[in-house]
Amino acid sequence: MSTFLSQIANGLMFGSLIALIAIGYTMVYGIITLINFAHGEIFMVGAYGGLATLTYWVPTAVAARWYFALPIALVAGALVAMLVAVAMERFAYRPLRNAPRLAPLITALGVSVALQEAVRVFYPGATAAIPFPNVFIEGAFVIPIGDGVVIRYTGVLLIVVSLGLAFGLERFIERTRMGRAMRATSQDRDVARLMGIDPDRVIVLTFAIGGALAGVAGVLYGGYLNNINIDMGFQNGIFAFTAAVLGGIGNIRGAVVGGLVIGLVRALGGQYLPGGTAYDYVWIFVVLIVVLVFRPQGFFGESERVRA
Amino acid sequence: MTATTETPVAPVAPPPVRHTGRLGPVLNALAPFATIGMIAGGVLSILGAFLPWVTFVLNEGAYPERASLNMFVEPFGISGFRLHITLLGIAAIVIALVKVPAQHRIVRGLGVGVTAVALLNGLWILVEGGGLGAITASDGAVAFGSVVALVGGLVTVLSATSGGLEGRPEWEWELPWWVEWILLLVIFALVLLLVAEVLTSGGQGGVVNPYAGVVFLSLLAALAGAFSALNASGLLTWVGAVSERHRVFSVVVLLVCALALPFTGAGTEYWMTVASNIGVYAATAIGLNIVVGLAGLLDLGYVAFLGIGAFTAANLSGAAASAVGIHLPFLLVMVISAVVAGVFGAIVGSPTLRVRGDYLAIVTLAFGEIFVRSAQNNIAGLTGGANAIPNIPPVGLGSFQFNESISIGPIQLPSGVMYYVAIVLLVAFVMLVFGNLKNSRLGRAWIAIREDEDAASAMGIRTGPIKILAFLIGAMLAGLAGAFFAHKTAVVAYDSFRFLESVTLLAAVILGGMGTIPGAVLGASILFVLPEKLREFADYRLLIFGLALVLIMRFRPQGIIADKHRKAELAEDPEDAAKEAPGALPTEVK
Repeated sequence: MSTFLSQIANGLMFGSLIALIAIGYTMVYGIITLINFAHGEIFMVGAYGGLATLTYWVPTAVAARWYFALPIALVAGALVAMLVAVAMERFAYRPLRNAPRLAPLITALGVSVALQEAVRVFYPGATAAIPFPNVFIEGAFVIPIGDGVVIRYTGVLLIVVSLGLAFGLERFIERTRMGRAMRATSQDRDVARLMGIDPDRVIVLTFAIGGALAGVAGVLYGGYLNNINIDMGFQNGIFAFTAAVLGGIGNIRGAVVGGLVIGLVRALGGQYLPGGTAYDYVWIFVVLIVVLVFRPQGFFGESERVRA
Repeated sequence: MTATTETPVAPVAPPPVRHTGRLGPVLNALAPFATIGMIAGGVLSILGAFLPWVTFVLNEGAYPERASLNMFVEPFGISGFRLHITLLGIAAIVIALVKVPAQHRIVRGLGVGVTAVALLNGLWILVEGGGLGAITASDGAVAFGSVVALVGGLVTVLSATSGGLEGRPEWEWELPWWVEWILLLVIFALVLLLVAEVLTSGGQGGVVNPYAGVVFLSLLAALAGAFSALNASGLLTWVGAVSERHRVFSVVVLLVCALALPFTGAGTEYWMTVASNIGVYAATAIGLNIVVGLAGLLDLGYVAFLGIGAFTAANLSGAAASAVGIHLPFLLVMVISAVVAGVFGAIVGSPTLRVRGDYLAIVTLAFGEIFVRSAQNNIAGLTGGANAIPNIPPVGLGSFQFNESISIGPIQLPSGVMYYVAIVLLVAFVMLVFGNLKNSRLGRAWIAIREDEDAASAMGIRTGPIKILAFLIGAMLAGLAGAFFAHKTAVVAYDSFRFLESVTLLAAVILGGMGTIPGAVLGASILFVLPEKLREFADYRLLIFGLALVLIMRFRPQGIIADKHRKAELAEDPEDAAKEAPGALPTEVK
C-alpha cells in the first residue's frame, strides 16, 4: 500500500513537472500549429541558466541560503529560457511563417540539436551530468500510512509551483486583454489581424511565456533530482508533448491533466508492469500511440481537427 | 556535329536593370561598370591567390608535409585552394570578356566560389593562428592573400549582380548518338575522378592531418562555385537532357563508374569502409524517400527499420551472441530481414489510417523510441542490450570472405572492396525499385495522397492500404540495408539507431531533395562524409549540423536537387521565385 502511494506521489511530482513543460508545447501549437521540438531544449537551457547563475554570478554565501537561491535560480532560469525561446522564434521560425508545414518542423529539429550541442560544447563540464545545488529545504516528511510514505519537500514545491503557474496562466488567458488576443490569434490569425491584433506580438508573447515556464521547470527539475544533463531536454520534451496531445492540444487545463497522467503512467508502469523501470518510457509511448489512434483530440479537445 | 543551333530561349541581359532591395542603390550605381568590375574582381582574385597568405606555422615543420593548406610565401608554386581561386578568377575574366548567354549569372557563381574559398581559408587561418595578427607574416611581409582574394570574390559577385542576372539558357544541341555516348562516358569518368578527389582530399582527418577538414571544405566550396557557374550556363541541364536521351547507357556507365571507384585514389580500405557506410545510409535514405518524399508521410523513427533489419540479420548470422543459433546464407538473410522490417513497417504505418500530419510524425517517433528502449533492454534476448551482438561473421562466397582483399591481375584491391561492390549493387537495386515505383500507378497514387489526401480519395485511390504500403516498402528497403550493415560492421548495437540517426536520415532526404533518387544519395553522401572529413571539428559537428538544418530550411527548403512537383509545393510564393530569376520561364517555377 505504501509503495503504491509513494509511486502515486512520485508520479504526481514528475507529472506536474511535465505539465509545466507541456504548457509551452500546447500554447505554441495552439497558436501557430507547430510542434516546437526545441521546447524540450528550452527547458534544458533554463536549468543550465539557473545553475550558471547560482554557480558563477551569485556569492556562495547567498547561493547557500535557499530563500535567496530559489527565487534567484527560478527567475534566472526563466529569463534565460525566455530569451532563448524568443530568439528562436525570431530567427528560426518567423521567416518560415508561411512556408510549407514540413519546413518549420525540420527547423525545430535543427534548433533542438543545435541548442543541445551548444550547451554541451560551451557550458563547462556539460559533457557529463552536473550536480545541481539544493535550492529548497532538504529533507522529507513522512505520511504514516503502512510503512510510511516519504514525501520530499522539493517534490511538494514542484507540485505547488507548477499548478500555481498553470492556474495563473489560465486566468491570464481567460481574463486579460492580451489573453483574449492570444485566443483570437489561435482561432484565426488573419481575422485577428483585422481586429487590430498584431499576431507577431502575440506569437512572441506565446514563446516568451512558454519559455519562461520551461525555464522554471528546468530549475525545479534540477532541484528535485539534484543533477542535470543535456539529454534531459529531449526525453522530457517528448513526454511533455505526449502530455499536451493527451490533454488535447491547445488547452492548458488539458496539458496539466495530461502531464499528471504521464507522471502516473511512468511511476506505476515502472512499478507494476512487466519489465519494471527499464520499460517505463515505453509505456508512455504506448499510451501516446493508443490515444492518438483512438482519440486524437485528447481528453479536452473540442472537436477532431483534420490536419493535412 | 551538324545541328549545333544555338538557341538560348532566355533573353540575354535586358540592359537597363533596376535593382531594388537593400543593395539596390549600390547595384544600380555599379551597373554601368559591370564588365569592368567582373574583370577587376577576377584579377584581384588571382592576385590574392599569388600573394602570401599566412605564415604562422612556419616554424613548426618542413614544407610541404606540414602545409597542405599552402600557407607559405611561395609565389607561382600554387596548388590546392590557391590553384582553385586562380582557376575561378581566370574563368571569371574570360567569361566577362566573351559574350556568352547568362554571362553575369555564370560569373556570379564563380565569384561566390572565390568568396567562399577565401572566406573559409581566411577564417580558419585567423582562428587557428590566434586572431588578426596571424595575417601578418613573420618577416614583415604582410600576408594579404586572404583579404585580397575575399575582396576580389565580393567585387566579382557584386558587379556580376549589378549587370543583371539572366535566366538560365536552354541549349538544344543534338549530336550524333556516338558523339553523345563518348561525351557522357568522358563526363561520367570525370565525375568519378572528382568524387575520388573529393573523398580523399586532405586525407583522413583527425590527429594525423589537422588540415583535412579545411582542405576538404575549401575544395567543396570551389566545386560549388564551379558547379553553380556551369548550372547557370545551362550546360548541366543540357548534359542532363543528353543523358536522359540515352537513359540505359547512362545508368550502365554510372554503375560501372561507381564500381570503378576502388581503382582510383580512393581505393584504400579506409575509404572503402566509408563508402560502404555511405551506401548503407543512402539505401536507407531512398527507402525513407518513399515514405516522406513520395507519400508525404513524415517518419521520425525510420532508423528503427534499419535496426530491425540489422538485428534480424545478426541473429541469423550464427554469431555466438545471437539468440537464434542458425547460420543462413546471406541472400536468404537479406530477404528475411527485409520481410521482418516490412512487417514492422506495416505495423508502424497502420496508425496512418486514423492519424495525419504532425500527429503521425509523433506516432512514428514514439515507435522509434520504443524500438530503441526495447533494444537497449535486450528484449527477448534478441538484441544483446548494452553488450550488442558482436562478432558477426563476414559474408562469404564459397571459401572467399568479403572482408579479404582481392587482386585482379597486377592490381591489388584493398580489403573491404567486395563489401563496396555489394553495397553499390544494393543501392543500384534500391534505386531501380524507387525509380520504377515512382513512375508506376502506385507512385502516382502516393504523390496524389501527398498533394491532397481527400482529393486522392475522391479520385478512387484507396488511401489506407496505399499509405501502409509506402511504410511497408520503405521499411523493406531499410531492412535490406540493415542486413548488409550487420555483416559489414560485424557488430550491431542499439546505439546506432537513435533518434538523432533518424533526424540525420531525414535531413539527408531533405538536403538532397525530396522525392528524387540522386537527391537521397547525394544527401546521404554529404551528411555521412562530412563527419569523416571534419574529425578535428568533432566537438562542433552536431552543432553545425543543427544550424545547417535551420539554414537549409530557411534558404533552400526544396533541397539541392529539387523535384519538379516538390518545387511547386515548397516555393514560398511563386511570385518570389519568379523574381529571383528574371527571364526564367514561368513554367519552370510552376
